[in-house]
Amino acid sequence: MRAALLLPLLLLVATVTALMSGQASIGLPLLWEGLVTGEGPGALMLDTIRGPRVATAIGAGGVLGLSGFIFQTLFRNPLASPDILGFTPGAGLAIVAAITFHLNVPMPLVSAAGGIAAALLVALLAIRRGHETPPLTLILVGLGVGFFSSAFSTFVMTVLPHSEAAEAQRWLTGSLAARDWGHVAQVWWPGLLLVLLAIAQARNLAGLELGNDLASGLGLRTETVLWLLAVTGVLLAATGVAVAGPVPFVALMAGPLGIRITGARTHTSRMLAAAGTGALVLTLADLAARTALPGIVLPAGVMTGILGAPYLLWRLSREMEKGTL
Amino acid sequence: MSRLLWIACACLAMMIISLTVGFRQIAPAVYFDVLNTYDPTDPAHVTLASIRLPRLAAGLIAGAALGVAGTVMQAITRNPLADPGILGVNAGAAFFLLLGTTILGRADEAIVATLAFPGAALASAAVFALGGGLRGDVGPVRLTLAGAALNALLLSLVTGIVLVRQDSLDVFRFWVAGSLTQATTRPLLEMAMVACAGGLLALAVAPQIEALSHGKEMSRGLGTRPGRVQAAALLIVTMTTGAAVAVAGPLAFLGLMVPPLARLLVGHRMRAELVAAALLGATILLGADTLGRLLLAPSEIRAGVMTALLGGPVFLWLARRIRPGATT
Repeated sequence: MRAALLLPLLLLVATVTALMSGQASIGLPLLWEGLVTGEGPGALMLDTIRGPRVATAIGAGGVLGLSGFIFQTLFRNPLASPDILGFTPGAGLAIVAAITFHLNVPMPLVSAAGGIAAALLVALLAIRRGHETPPLTLILVGLGVGFFSSAFSTFVMTVLPHSEAAEAQRWLTGSLAARDWGHVAQVWWPGLLLVLLAIAQARNLAGLELGNDLASGLGLRTETVLWLLAVTGVLLAATGVAVAGPVPFVALMAGPLGIRITGARTHTSRMLAAAGTGALVLTLADLAARTALPGIVLPAGVMTGILGAPYLLWRLSREMEKGTL
Repeated sequence: MSRLLWIACACLAMMIISLTVGFRQIAPAVYFDVLNTYDPTDPAHVTLASIRLPRLAAGLIAGAALGVAGTVMQAITRNPLADPGILGVNAGAAFFLLLGTTILGRADEAIVATLAFPGAALASAAVFALGGGLRGDVGPVRLTLAGAALNALLLSLVTGIVLVRQDSLDVFRFWVAGSLTQATTRPLLEMAMVACAGGLLALAVAPQIEALSHGKEMSRGLGTRPGRVQAAALLIVTMTTGAAVAVAGPLAFLGLMVPPLARLLVGHRMRAELVAAALLGATILLGADTLGRLLLAPSEIRAGVMTALLGGPVFLWLARRIRPGATT
């Protein structure tokens, strides 16, 4: 029970710290006063300056984390996260293209379309009928689709005029700068819906983890269940990308870290742990990006890249020792 | 041998096309005038001598160097997905270069450009070690993932530096995509010499690399010392990739698609493969650059973007064919 409380506590501390520190620091008493009375500098901070940013970080990190956990469990491989599989780069490309052509479509829809297109492309290229698809082939093909999407995003960026290119660049790195309550609503409402949808499928995920034969023996229609879970996972990732950009490595780290922190056993609690840890990681990364260098605000994606890459390498060495790679 | 001659002809043809195609039309007679009597007041002469020729030179250096680098990497790691761009070696060189520009200012291009070499060396050594090279089993999946991680780390650092400096996004756009447009400001002659030295070293140790590409045991049996060959390969990759990044920025996927093409054309003979890869690399890069200039004229698509658009599908095609678990 104590372990289960640790994660919410960490998240609370991170949130409060993120609200307090930055270019202009603010003390806890003022923040509290702002929250209770709705007036003063604390309220300004909560309402316009830092509140929406932190809320967006929590929401986006949560959906990315849960998406990572779903794919890692689905493919029984800790490397199979939506960023490695090319889904988040695909969603990012769609958004940059939408910025370029001044499309008047809501960002989550654009992002979802990009993510689903990338996922279909990966599935189409990796899966061969009548053959078992090894997760590693999926990962390699996903990496390729990711490389290709990033190259295409760079291409779009090079044809943009300077000011728009700067916007697109921040976007592609993964940034939480200048978010408002509109962004918060964009990530929290679809996010909550998708989290519920995912939790409803927790038993199916557990069943699939037993292996295809055993699962179908238990009466699970494995193919349908697998596709439903995959679509939920892609939509979760796309929801995060729609407001925060394709922040690297959050989805990759959240699941395993969350299980380590909470010691969760059932799939439902693991899902919640992954979402909570994703929120924690992104909030802390954004906080670090804002405060690491005085006077400079870096995009959060720079931090998750710098922290996440060593994690991926460590994970890789672990997998190598186990002999699964 | 005749195949090599054909490839050389193709490369020559591409060189001529690259010189003649462009925003400004130049009459054929002018080309000879430039050679005989260079007139600095004639815009056509200036275009040729100070824009198109450096561009051609940069394309030749970077293309040939990356072709050689890719061939050596693929042979030594027995990984068809090996490429200086994908494995993070380009990013290492670019990171050091950018760090140098930031610290030293852009006072001396040649001095700053030499920073590309320690960067490339560190990155290639790191990715080889991280991918399992020290234990002698560099599986393709492992190495590619280690490269992707290293790449992400270095690019995050590059983004960080550029955003901290605030001075120019354009520098960043150039460094991420790779391009031949800034060839005039690059130390072309020095880098050509380094790339040539790397290429010659590759030709010299080609038989040993070939032996090693059949596996460590086999190569020991043939009387090669794997450690030494790996060190030589590291040196070759460092020299060629460093030179390429110094003149053209981090071009991805060229080193990936050239070697299989070279093998297809000249067969499994390391020396011929290396020569073919150098020629093909230059041809493809010049072709990509020329195409990039034509497609959206008068603005242009950077060569690095074009090579990525061409090479991405090649990567996917190769990735589908790899059997996970196998080391070859």
